[in-house]
Formats: sequence, structure tokens, C-alpha cells
Amino acid sequence: MEIILFIITALIALASALMVITRKSPIASVLFLVLTFVCIAVLYVMLGAQFIAAMQIIVYAGAIMVLFLFVLMLLNLRGNQGWENISPARIGLGFAAAGLLLLVAVAWLKTAGSMEVAGLDPEMGTVSAFGDVLFQRFLLPFEIASVLLLGAIIGVVAMIKRKPLAELGEDKEGKVS
Amino acid sequence: MSNYIPVLLFLVAVLGLTGLMMAMVIFLGPKRSNPDKELPFETGSAPSPGDARERYPVHFYLVAILFIVFDIEIAFMYPWAVKFRQLGLFGLVEMLVFAAILMFGWFYIIKRGALKWK
Amino acid sequence: MTLGPGWYLTLSALLFCIGIAGVLTRRNALIIFMSIELMLNAVNLSFVTFGRYLPDANGQVFVFFIMAVAAAEVAVGLAIIVTIFRHKESVDIDKVNLMKW
Repeated sequence: MEIILFIITALIALASALMVITRKSPIASVLFLVLTFVCIAVLYVMLGAQFIAAMQIIVYAGAIMVLFLFVLMLLNLRGNQGWENISPARIGLGFAAAGLLLLVAVAWLKTAGSMEVAGLDPEMGTVSAFGDVLFQRFLLPFEIASVLLLGAIIGVVAMIKRKPLAELGEDKEGKVS
Repeated sequence: MSNYIPVLLFLVAVLGLTGLMMAMVIFLGPKRSNPDKELPFETGSAPSPGDARERYPVHFYLVAILFIVFDIEIAFMYPWAVKFRQLGLFGLVEMLVFAAILMFGWFYIIKRGALKWK
Repeated sequence: MTLGPGWYLTLSALLFCIGIAGVLTRRNALIIFMSIELMLNAVNLSFVTFGRYLPDANGQVFVFFIMAVAAAEVAVGLAIIVTIFRHKESVDIDKVNLMKW
């Protein structure tokens, strides 16, 4: 039962991941990537990580992918995506390199030996257990994450709102070219 | 796994209900078509000319991006809210430091006028 | 056959390699960026798998931090792409060689 669910989800995830990198239209790519993320969320639930699965949907499939769609509409690319212009050599070499890496990964998985499989801890994926670890053992990374987000805010505003610092305060027409 | 049976039932109910309603509209509703009805609907007036896919102003992007950052902040608050009583004062201070650092970003946004809509 | 960590790790490796292929073959900066997101997610899947089978809650907390980093990264990365587009009217990485000379 569980194994069938895994195989179906994994096949959908792989197929849509392949669609992401082969579609000509970036909009189609974004939508297939959302499908991949939803499949990964299903796998998280199967692995007993309910909170992470919810966050996957809310943050990745919800927020981040919506941002990608926003940017696509903002740029409104038309006819200059150029999948056609990619040389076959590039495609061949790219896929060959990825295939080689896959070979290494699978070989490693084969030789790594079997992992000591422990039983599922049903409490582990809950928000409560998650909070215990996050706010005690990971106290410092948690605070540093806020600095990272602060950096992201400032970086984005500084890049998008290119307004000379001299104009600050006096409310001139902020030039957003 | 059996915990998810209610979710599955919910999913079946939702899909069944929407399917049923759409089927009812298709099979029971009267169909009288005329050219005016086939036009794209836009608040009763004739559709505005031109391409629907115009380039959006960069403001939309700025708001969306700032939403993401604060979305992550709220995501961090969720496990904190569940554990609030056990963490006590320590947890409160922890979250206040977190929020205070992000407040600098908020002040910067306001100072730069990033949310002003022109 | 039972579902073990190997299944999930193999899927994770496959998704990661698809992401690599996307980065190496495409020229649209946005699609390259999406491939990077795909690779991040593949790694997250490994983290959760190890967290589940060890069992160790750290794996999930790591994934949570990776999501926070990914959000910051997407915000800044897309801002860079938008800025480049406003200068060059293109997101083709072969045309964006401002720092090459």
C-alpha cells in the first residue's frame, strides 16, 4: 500500500521535474515545479514530517512559486526564451554530466551499506516536537535567520528602488525606470 | 497512515461535490447562446482593447517579495506559538529579538518609501 | 519489498540530477533558477529521509532553515534578474556577460 503510493508519487515528481527543464514556456515550467513540490510534500507526510510538509506547501508551492509567476508576468517574456537556440551539443553534454553524477550517487548508495533502520517516532514531525528542537538546540541559527531575512529585505529594496540617497526624506517623484 | 483517512474522505467529498455541481450546471442548466454572451466579461462594459498580458509595474514585485520575507517570519512563529507556555519568558525574549531584527528591515522599507503606490 | 531509506535517497538523487541537467542546458535565467530550487528540494528530501530513519529531529529543523534561506535567496536572486532585465531587456544568460572581459 505504502510502496504503491511512493511509486506513484515519485513517478509524478520525476515526470514533472523533467517537464520543468524541457518546457519552452517558463510559465509551464513554474506550474510543473509546483506539482513537483506538492509531490515532495506528500513524501514528507509519508516520512512522518507533517509540519515540514505543510511548510513545503505554504512557503514553496505557495509563496516562492507565486513570486516566480509574478516575475514572469513582470518581465512578460515573449519569444526570447530560446530553447530552440540551444545547441544539441549543450543538451547532450548537460545531460551526460547529470547522468554521470547520478551514476556516482547510485554507486555510492549501493556501496554505502544498509542503514540501521529505526522505528518511526510518531511524535517527531509534530509542531510541538519541532518547536522543542528549534527554540532550544537551534537558538542561535534561529536568531541568525532573522539577520539573513533582514539582509534579503534590504538587498531587494535597494536593488528595485534605485533612488539616490540624497532624495530621501523629501518626497520627490521616486524614479522607477 | 490511518490518521489520514479523514483527509482522504474530505478530498473525496470536495471533489465529488464540485463534480456534482459542475455536472448539474452542464446537464440541467438551459443553454441559450448569443454573440454578446460569448464576449469576455469585463464589469459589464466592452472589453478593453489590447493584449491582456501587459508588463506589470515593478511595484507588484516589491510587495510580493516583502510578503515572502514576512511569510517566513510567521512560519517561524507557528512552532513558537504552540510551545509558548513551555518556553515561558525565555521564548518571549527569543522571539522579540527575532522580530526586533526584522523591524530594522521594516523601518528601511518605510524610509525608502518602498510601499508607496504611485 | 519494503519501503526503506534507499528508495527516498534514490529519488532524491534523481531529482538532483534533473536539476543539474536543467542548470547546464537551459539559457533562460529564470529556468536555471527554478532548477536550483529543484536541487534544493532534492536535498531537503534527503534530510527528511535521514531524519526519519535515524531517527533524529535535527533533519527536519535543517529543512526548515533551508526553506528560510531559500526564500531569502529567491527574493534577492529574482531582484537581480529583474534588475538585469531592466538594463538589458533579456534574461538569456549568454547575453548577460557584464562581468566578463
